[in-house]
Amino acid sequence: MRKLLLTTAVTATIAGMVSTAPVLADGHLQIVEGDPLELTIQMNHRAYPVYEESWPVEQAAREMTNVHLKDATVGANMQTDSENTGKTEALNLMLASGNIPDIVGSSRIKDFVNQYGPEGAFLPLNELIDEHAPNLKKFFEEKPEIAAAISAADGNMYYIPYLPDGKYGRAYWIRTDWLNKLGLDMPETVEDYEKVLRAFKTQDPNGNGQADEIPYFARQWPEFIRLVTLWDGRSSGSDTYHDFMVEDGKIQHPYAGEGYREGIKNLARWYKDGLIDAEIFTRGSSARDFLLSENLGGSTHDWFASTSGYNKLSADIEGFEFKAMAPPASVSGKRVEEHRRIPIKPDGWAIGHTNEHPVETIKYFDFWFTEEGRRLANFGVEGMHYDMKDGKAIFKQEFLDAGPVNRSLYQVGSQLQGRGYFQDYGYEIQWSNEFALEGIALYDEGDYLIDQFLGVAFNADEQKVYDRYWGSIRDYMLERQQAWILGNGDVEAEWDDYTAQLEKQGLSKVLEVMNSAYKRQYGK
Amino acid sequence: MIWLSDHVRNEWRLYLMLLPTIIWFIVFLYKPMYGLQIAFKDYSIFKGVAKSPWIGWEHFQSLFTNDQFLRAVSNTIKISALNLLFGFPAPIILALMFNEVLHAGYKRAAQTIVYLPHFISSVIIAGIVITAFSPSVGIVNTVLGWLGFDSVYFLTKPEWFRPIFVGTGIWQEAGFGSIVFLAAIAGVNPSLYESAVVDGASRWQMMWKITLPSILPTIIIMLIIRIGNIMEVSFELIILLYQPATYETADVVNTFVYRQGLQSGQYDFAAAAGLFNAVVAFVLVMVANTLSRRYSRTSLW
Repeated sequence: MRKLLLTTAVTATIAGMVSTAPVLADGHLQIVEGDPLELTIQMNHRAYPVYEESWPVEQAAREMTNVHLKDATVGANMQTDSENTGKTEALNLMLASGNIPDIVGSSRIKDFVNQYGPEGAFLPLNELIDEHAPNLKKFFEEKPEIAAAISAADGNMYYIPYLPDGKYGRAYWIRTDWLNKLGLDMPETVEDYEKVLRAFKTQDPNGNGQADEIPYFARQWPEFIRLVTLWDGRSSGSDTYHDFMVEDGKIQHPYAGEGYREGIKNLARWYKDGLIDAEIFTRGSSARDFLLSENLGGSTHDWFASTSGYNKLSADIEGFEFKAMAPPASVSGKRVEEHRRIPIKPDGWAIGHTNEHPVETIKYFDFWFTEEGRRLANFGVEGMHYDMKDGKAIFKQEFLDAGPVNRSLYQVGSQLQGRGYFQDYGYEIQWSNEFALEGIALYDEGDYLIDQFLGVAFNADEQKVYDRYWGSIRDYMLERQQAWILGNGDVEAEWDDYTAQLEKQGLSKVLEVMNSAYKRQYGK
Repeated sequence: MIWLSDHVRNEWRLYLMLLPTIIWFIVFLYKPMYGLQIAFKDYSIFKGVAKSPWIGWEHFQSLFTNDQFLRAVSNTIKISALNLLFGFPAPIILALMFNEVLHAGYKRAAQTIVYLPHFISSVIIAGIVITAFSPSVGIVNTVLGWLGFDSVYFLTKPEWFRPIFVGTGIWQEAGFGSIVFLAAIAGVNPSLYESAVVDGASRWQMMWKITLPSILPTIIIMLIIRIGNIMEVSFELIILLYQPATYETADVVNTFVYRQGLQSGQYDFAAAAGLFNAVVAFVLVMVANTLSRRYSRTSLW
């Protein structure tokens, strides 16, 4: 609630500034002349359940394009779990209600539009882009692999994606001041890493006389499962948790692999020995804030830019230093960073079938791919949040100082993942402090990233098979995963039963349709 | 005909009073029944109920080959059985105890305290339970710590889920549930007690020989209703308390329907599961009622 109030206050004052600001555009980006065109929108962004007309970025876009977006949220869901299932739920509710707004923007929209687009709920965009959207057209011509990855089984595109920029996402982080205090070196292998975590647990690096340190923690519990990479397992093939992966040109699921079995066995041991946050599954998104500011957390796996910021935010803890470390070498000696920024997210926006202005809407989507639109989507409003220096958008100092920059940007309507736009890594580099830049250099040097699975689009028959089997299989996988970690079962003893059960529940049928869709889409 | 119009003219007030209930039934129970047909259809939320194609029993076939569904059915029955075993007698015992309290002020205070949890929303109840059983700050583990036990992460242990859930349910509803039995006790003819006192009966004997037999019809009616609801555990509380680690004992038909239907968007499949649930509940209530009518001459209809 406090956050909401703050937002309204900020946006209210900023909204006042917009109307008095000098005219932002000379009119060359205007989509309609005369009376503004109003389009309705439902947008489920990570931080906001609805679209706010008072966002300065929306105000500026109105001024430039003369298209006004009106919030028409039918299904909203504030639930933010690690997999954004709440967003899919909101989309389903919207469709079930029968009222589809002109524009629908959301996280996890890809599978949804690729299923219901061909049935007629959303407009195919290919022709509209060809005829009316020069910037989008140019973008897709330059990156045909992106066009292939977002297309539905019928070959049409039904949404304009949010396209992240830059390579690096998450990294391993560790309290280097604790390492120094205990006279330990930066861990190079999984054995080292275990020793270090054990030392954090037993040797009281925070010096309060209690063994209250939590050696490894994570804001999203699947980041803990990701440690199976240290035993050559995999936790996901993309930046979506629990996703399929491509191995030897075929689609597999990481939770059925041998490395995963070995990894879970060892992680269960780590958990039992107290090297992992006991409340890892229930602590949730405040884990990083709480455990770092209380001087309890030792190591995690999280984003470069936002995590590096804790060096400043926790500065009142004496000597606090939280640095990126290279991925420890796995048992077979491989150093792998499983997470990376994926070039296309399943997030973005689409045009509802009842939209009476498809041409204007695609022009509006195109606007966000113009130079001005892209800057607006990335940096906020010129003169308010950033200034142009030497042809580059540079954030104002007071904006950089106002707290985590991505959070501030959400609050003014920028960097919204329910909007189709091309991210500019320049936005993040500016608020990545020296710790993040040092970490990125470290990861650049080591070349730890691996290729990602960009997803497939099913035809109706494949979709049916996937829907029928996958939900239950996934539930079962996660259930056993947690049970093994928590000691309610033994992965070694149960593994054969586990794989037999996966087979019985139809895993090979799901893999079969995944592979047929994969071949069709990527021509392999 | 004349009789009918006379009848309506004379009794229209009664019909007017009946109207809201009838509307409620039509809007919230009969109209949704139209949608039940999607259990036999390949339903697309976009095409709508009428236009989706029929596919017969396919969803039911996949239901009964789905281990998670079968487990959910068995969990539902187990949780309900525990609820029946421990949860059903609790309000009766409570009512009998209140009946024996002589100090009026104390009685009223105690009743208010045990009624209160009924009026707290499940979300808050779940919050209280989660906090109380938390391994680091929870009161339960703190007490266990004083007694020298290790702290237990209760809400991730499948074996602890049912006791916690059933216990929470009793704490929340036993007080409010006792009202109906208190009302039944208030209706017992006082002359029975007076003659018992004359005969020298103790309070304990009066409770066993007079109070309990007198409220037995009420108990049986409540039991029939309860059996009819066996398939309906309060799943909102389960959703708030369970997680993959405890699905094994916590996943019931309604939570299964929720996950498959709302979260995975398979409304048709979930509708089939829900329909099955309703059919079982219907059979149970019929059987319970028939048995009760035959053996105790008390029944709902």
